Amino acid sequence: MLFSERSIWTMVHGIGVGGAALLGLAAALFYLYAVRPTQQPTVNPTDPRAFVALTVFTAVMLWLTVIVGTYIIFPQYRATPPPGTTDLSAFPRALVLASPSTAWLHAFAMEAKEHMPWIASMLTTAVAFIAVRYRRTTLTTPAVRRLSFTLLAVSFAIVAFVSLLGVFVNKIAPLD
Amino acid sequence: MATVFHSQGTAVTDTNGAMMAAVLGAGIGSSAMGVFVLLNEAGLFSAPALYGPAGGVSGRTTFATIVWLVAWGVLHARWRSRDVTSGSVFTWTVVLVLLGIVATFPPVWALL
Repeated sequence: MLFSERSIWTMVHGIGVGGAALLGLAAALFYLYAVRPTQQPTVNPTDPRAFVALTVFTAVMLWLTVIVGTYIIFPQYRATPPPGTTDLSAFPRALVLASPSTAWLHAFAMEAKEHMPWIASMLTTAVAFIAVRYRRTTLTTPAVRRLSFTLLAVSFAIVAFVSLLGVFVNKIAPLD
Repeated sequence: MATVFHSQGTAVTDTNGAMMAAVLGAGIGSSAMGVFVLLNEAGLFSAPALYGPAGGVSGRTTFATIVWLVAWGVLHARWRSRDVTSGSVFTWTVVLVLLGIVATFPPVWALL
């Protein structure tokens, strides 16, 4: 078999739903930038349905990412090797902790990845709710647009940061 | 301040309470995540593992998510038909989100 089940789940988490969430956040941020008011601030011809769909999709992808990460990927990462195990390649946490040069991948990278993305999920969900509940206002009212942009920008920064950490961890101790 | 919708040439007013409830609720949820993590790292309160293989992170994240949903629900019920001062709500939300981010940043735990 080309890919193991563990490896497939890692790809689903990091590239599938996680990658979709990161792309969705980037697209939503650009959308808000692109629809900023021009010379006619009270009339915005932009159809809000695309932005609504984009933010809802991104929020769903983010929640899938954190749920898959917490309940499917993380248990496999933190599995404890049986006593006497010398080949730690199947036990990522034990593998990175075995060397002082890679221990930070658990103490810093994985510890950050455990909690921070949940904050991004909450913030993005709030923006998705605003987009659904206040449809046109989100795009036409500067204060609402700035608010949404700020929350999405924070979410994007968090997701990009933990994604990079995930790449580092997976490079040294992949779930094969 | 009322929110104005422009739809097919007509203006409709709506309150901003539901929006501010969602925003502040997310801030409260973010800070709750940070508080649960800090309490755990300080050895003051460890959320139980709700899913054994995942360990304590399953409890901390679930508890923070519950706090977020409850806070959002309560705020929504109280504010949905009102106009709320958006500036102060946004400022508090930024503070709470920053608190949550800082508290979940592992190097901070070494200061405890």
